[in-house]
Amino acid sequence: MKSLPDTLNYDDVQVGEELPELTIELTPTVIISTAIASRDYQDVHHDRDLAQQKGSKDIFMNILSTNGFVGRFVTDWAGPNAVLKSVSIRLGVPNYPYDTMHMTGKVRGKERVAGEGTLDLAVRGANQLGDHVTGSVRVVLPN
Amino acid sequence: MTAEDKSLEQQLQEFVETAKESSPGAPGRDPVNRTMIHHWCDAVGDNDPIYLDEELAAQSIHGGIVAPPTMLQAWSMPGLAGRGPSLPEQPLDREAAARSAGPIELLHEHGYTSVVATNCEQEYKRYLRPGDALRTGGSLESISSEKKTALGDGYFVTNRTTYWDQHDEVVAEMRFRIFWFKPRQPEKP
Repeated sequence: MKSLPDTLNYDDVQVGEELPELTIELTPTVIISTAIASRDYQDVHHDRDLAQQKGSKDIFMNILSTNGFVGRFVTDWAGPNAVLKSVSIRLGVPNYPYDTMHMTGKVRGKERVAGEGTLDLAVRGANQLGDHVTGSVRVVLPN
Repeated sequence: MTAEDKSLEQQLQEFVETAKESSPGAPGRDPVNRTMIHHWCDAVGDNDPIYLDEELAAQSIHGGIVAPPTMLQAWSMPGLAGRGPSLPEQPLDREAAARSAGPIELLHEHGYTSVVATNCEQEYKRYLRPGDALRTGGSLESISSEKKTALGDGYFVTNRTTYWDQHDEVVAEMRFRIFWFKPRQPEKP
């Protein structure tokens, strides 16, 4: 029988600990497929001609997808029994095709909230133009 | 600031002052479903078994397949044709639609025709499961004064949205900020 991969334990995580970096190659396919998977058909996320007419250099990633990558970044590290409680993100420079997003993060704090071991994580996704996304995530780990 | 700009800002603030909390609307076109979860996970490259593998998800604290929480908004997006769960019996009431889109219409009329999302805060009360049928409601929370940015000059518009399930329980809340701006003229080729 297959078994579920491990999940980090709350007690084993230290404040200041860094999450392993996640690198996302921003191909046009990634930008377009994530926009469509989130049911976002705004032309600036899939049509370069129209994106340029609207003053953008190229198509760019939508915020729903950025949110998805932030969630993946955290649960790739924490494991399948980690429970996301909140994700708050702020966008900076766009994610354009042919760039790379480097996602980094660290444990900013930890506390038990109503008995649940809750981590406060600071996350960041940067490309060659600067910070695409900065934000914070609250995630509950098993005790 | 010209008199016209001032009146635009005043009109925008009137929208904020008179904004009412809307009750839960119609459900999204599709309930939470595994096909859309698959599309999402494939695109984002997320291989978490709780979203994808029935046997492994059954061993998790969820006891079965759940949807990625960060996929929240996808369940309420209008999609390409802007359709709900059924074809409308009545033709679309365009006037009512324009009123509900009030501040956006106004911004468009004043040349603020481009938009980017800048902030998203989501809080999850529980993970969603296939079959959950979500309804949304919310309100306009704030509109900034005119801001100058690298993209162009424009206004930050902040909305709050609540997500209810089929049992009228709140499953998630979101604050979402977008920036409507006058695009800088692209360089001519």
